[in-house]
Amino acid sequence: MGAEPLLKIENLVKHFHVRLGAFGERAATVHALDDFTLDIEEGETLSLVGESGCGKSTTGFTILNLHRATAGKVLYKGQDLTALDEKRMRPFRRDLQIVFQDPYSTLNPRMTVGEAIGEPILFHKLATKTELEGKVAALLTDVGLPPRFASRYPHELSGGQRQRVVIARALACQPKFIVCDEAISALDVSIQAQIINLLLDLQEKYGLTYLFIAHDLAVVRHISTRVGVMYLGRLAELASRDELFDTPLHPYTKALLSAVPETDPQHERDRKRQILQGDVPSPLDPPAGCRFHTRCPIAMEVCRHKVPNWKEARPGHLVACHAVNGE
Amino acid sequence: MTGTKTENRLLDVKGLTVEIETRSGPAVIVDGIDLHVDRGETLGVVGESGCGKSLTMLSLMRLLPNKIHVAKGEAHFDGRDLQKMSNRELRKVRGGDIGFVFQDPMTSLNPVMRIGEQLAEPLIYHRGMSKKEARARAVELLRLVGIPGPEQRIEAYPHELSGGMRQRVMIAIGLACEPKLLIADEPTTALDVTIQAQIVDLVKGLREKLGMSVVWITHDLALIAGLVDRVIVLYAGTVVEDAPVDELYAHPRHPYTRGLLASIPKLSDQPASRLNSIGGTPPEPGRRPQGCPFAPRCPLAMDICRTHVPKLEPVAAAGSHRTACFAAEKAREAA
Amino acid sequence: MSAVQTEPATLSEEPPVSLWRDAWYRLKRNRLAIFGLCVIVLLAFTAIFGPYLTPYDFLGQDLEARNQAPSFAHLFGTDDLGRDVFSRVVYGTRTAFLVAVVVTAIALVIGTVLGAVAGFFGNPFDRVIMWLTDVTMSVPNLLLVVVINASLKTPIAQWMEARYLETLNPFYRETVWIDFLLVFGSMALISWPPYARLVRAQVLSIRSRPYITAAQALGLSNRIILTRYVIPNALGPLIVAVSAGLGTAMVLESAFSFLGVGVNPPTPSWGNMISDGLRVWQHYPHLLAAPAAVLGLASVAFSFLGDGLNDALNPRGSK
Repeated sequence: MGAEPLLKIENLVKHFHVRLGAFGERAATVHALDDFTLDIEEGETLSLVGESGCGKSTTGFTILNLHRATAGKVLYKGQDLTALDEKRMRPFRRDLQIVFQDPYSTLNPRMTVGEAIGEPILFHKLATKTELEGKVAALLTDVGLPPRFASRYPHELSGGQRQRVVIARALACQPKFIVCDEAISALDVSIQAQIINLLLDLQEKYGLTYLFIAHDLAVVRHISTRVGVMYLGRLAELASRDELFDTPLHPYTKALLSAVPETDPQHERDRKRQILQGDVPSPLDPPAGCRFHTRCPIAMEVCRHKVPNWKEARPGHLVACHAVNGE
Repeated sequence: MTGTKTENRLLDVKGLTVEIETRSGPAVIVDGIDLHVDRGETLGVVGESGCGKSLTMLSLMRLLPNKIHVAKGEAHFDGRDLQKMSNRELRKVRGGDIGFVFQDPMTSLNPVMRIGEQLAEPLIYHRGMSKKEARARAVELLRLVGIPGPEQRIEAYPHELSGGMRQRVMIAIGLACEPKLLIADEPTTALDVTIQAQIVDLVKGLREKLGMSVVWITHDLALIAGLVDRVIVLYAGTVVEDAPVDELYAHPRHPYTRGLLASIPKLSDQPASRLNSIGGTPPEPGRRPQGCPFAPRCPLAMDICRTHVPKLEPVAAAGSHRTACFAAEKAREAA
Repeated sequence: MSAVQTEPATLSEEPPVSLWRDAWYRLKRNRLAIFGLCVIVLLAFTAIFGPYLTPYDFLGQDLEARNQAPSFAHLFGTDDLGRDVFSRVVYGTRTAFLVAVVVTAIALVIGTVLGAVAGFFGNPFDRVIMWLTDVTMSVPNLLLVVVINASLKTPIAQWMEARYLETLNPFYRETVWIDFLLVFGSMALISWPPYARLVRAQVLSIRSRPYITAAQALGLSNRIILTRYVIPNALGPLIVAVSAGLGTAMVLESAFSFLGVGVNPPTPSWGNMISDGLRVWQHYPHLLAAPAAVLGLASVAFSFLGDGLNDALNPRGSK
């Protein structure tokens, strides 16, 4: 690596203020994301995994300034994105794109595929009206759809086809960075594989950088360069893919890996799973100290009141756990 | 593992066909499915969305949504014909001898009823228990499915519980009357991985404790690998493969099953840059191709596949492994 | 098995179907809705051209032929002044449509603007506008209309009279318009809140749809998001509401005219015709039956069309 990272994220925090009770009489804070620090290198696929409510999607939204950050910085080309209002953010939106989970609801049902893909091209003046048709056709071909799909409406397409359209639309602005927010989770297994392959092909062709947000560890292992594990709004562990899957350090990562089922009946019947007890606590009132201590099989006294440091346990392998000794 | 004797059959479905009304007339979504579940057996029903796996089970209980109906077929449960039962008799079976667990525990539980009442209801209706007995049994059931503090929890409303807890409550309701058969329709799809592992383990344990049969409907081949005895794979409303679990994963015969297994990334694999995938998308109801429904996506498709529908036939002379494929022999050679 | 990159085209060769076209297709298959639509088109045609085509003047009295039963000469018979009931019903259609269209249009404009402002800009607009809506809806409709009529009609008439005497401009003698003005005003005043609520709810729900976030992520401007993403998707339920609203307005106009607080004789309105007919229905049932039947038909037609539009534009469940 060595070169300047594409994105530098420093101490990013996102809290949502909500009102509870039948009459909204109690104000409360959802600690969706706390103290998130990370560099995203050009050309890599950085994955964020974790269970629902761990803040992984919030991270993607906050980085792209779709949610206003409560605190912290996101540096892109030397500019802190969190300081920009929507209008000054607009030129950066071309470079920084997002693909959402549910392809059924991220396309405007009243627009054809061609209009949906063409809209950002025209808006950002990347092509004239006469060039537009050719551009759209090229993008559709890029994502493996025949150009005649341009005249179709979203409801005429299958889930996989729609997700291809969404990806084509994200590509329309020639972005450098794409957040894939559970981009394959809503698709069937056989279609998931198609979309994963498509994402890999496009990355190779256009030198894209991905922030891949997912809960399926097997998929993440397949696609990632580095993997970050999140729990209740905090990063628990971050390492290169092989390092993380071969020598996980955080007890939560270990439990997560152990919960993944595999297509081997004998192995599945015999294996001794380490099953986590209980549920993820509410982000409204996260536990003090290490947020994982309520479910952690090796929790110690110190875990209950002291937030573990984010430390480098091995080269390039960061972890936040009192039970792991840093170097 | 799987007995083939008929007296051992708990559920026996033959030629079940389900149709949906569309603009251009009725379209077949479940096309003459044969399936059976033996006593004490756990059957996995696998397929992608729209393959008819949920509708097959719902149709047995006459719980089909509007505009969808059973066109033909027989279904015997415990020696009785479900299709011939009156609605009244069938209600006794639903929730009594056959328990259901649905995918989304939030929308399947009544939000304005305490979970204790929801648990007690089938007990009062099917087992004629008094309110007090039913309440005691409800506490017992919650304990059985591993809910901590069941005496207090029966007073809770569904929204006060987490997703995993709600699914445990759904399972407790499904088990309330000690059913002979528990049908679980994607019970873990809405849950996180660590919670999913908890639920799978729970059902495994309960099955051994209670000795019931289980039908587990899912799209996830990995999830059920360690849970079921036998698997049937559905594609576009037909059974394409039916095999004991070890046999299916070790020697899948149908090209669709093989494609499905190949497209699942595995932790134990060496990370590869590309996954094997099946091209294309399943046919929509009403647009089913002539011949084998998988033929347009099949890498082994021959001329006969496009004109004739293959029958579900044993792979070996006396085996319990059956598949519906003209090219199954070729698939074996390719293995 | 080799990896497949492209999506084999599983798309039919049929032409693309937009949601509007799709809705029209569904509507066409709904017989009741099409029946309603035909009736409405027929009534609208009658409202526009009818008065020019009828054989008699709707005010023309023929004292020789009073209270006649329906015949070929007088399809719906004649009334106590010998006026042709058919011609009056035809003219009443014009009254009904005029009131319905104008009132719905005013209510729609007020409701849409207020609802969109409330939904899009949020508090404090939202709170004030919703408060106004609730207050308006909580006042009994009939009471409000009676109060407006009772308190404004005489002063306006007097003022017009005075103006006429002053200027001798024949415009000020045309007192028929006072009726219409009051009917339009008072009915619009009670009709806008449902539109405001609907538009606000639509804007709120569409604003939170993922495709709006997706459009923001593409860097599109608010103006484009509002005109290309929010409004087209909000139209469906609004169209349904307008269809139902036109029918309601027609019935409401008749009800007010029936009670004497709407359009007054001699201008024919189904409502005042029913009111007149009711007094003598035992002797001359056709005087009641003709306007009542047409009013019923119109009401049912709008109701069927509204239901059909609702099914067509907001389909639930599978396609």
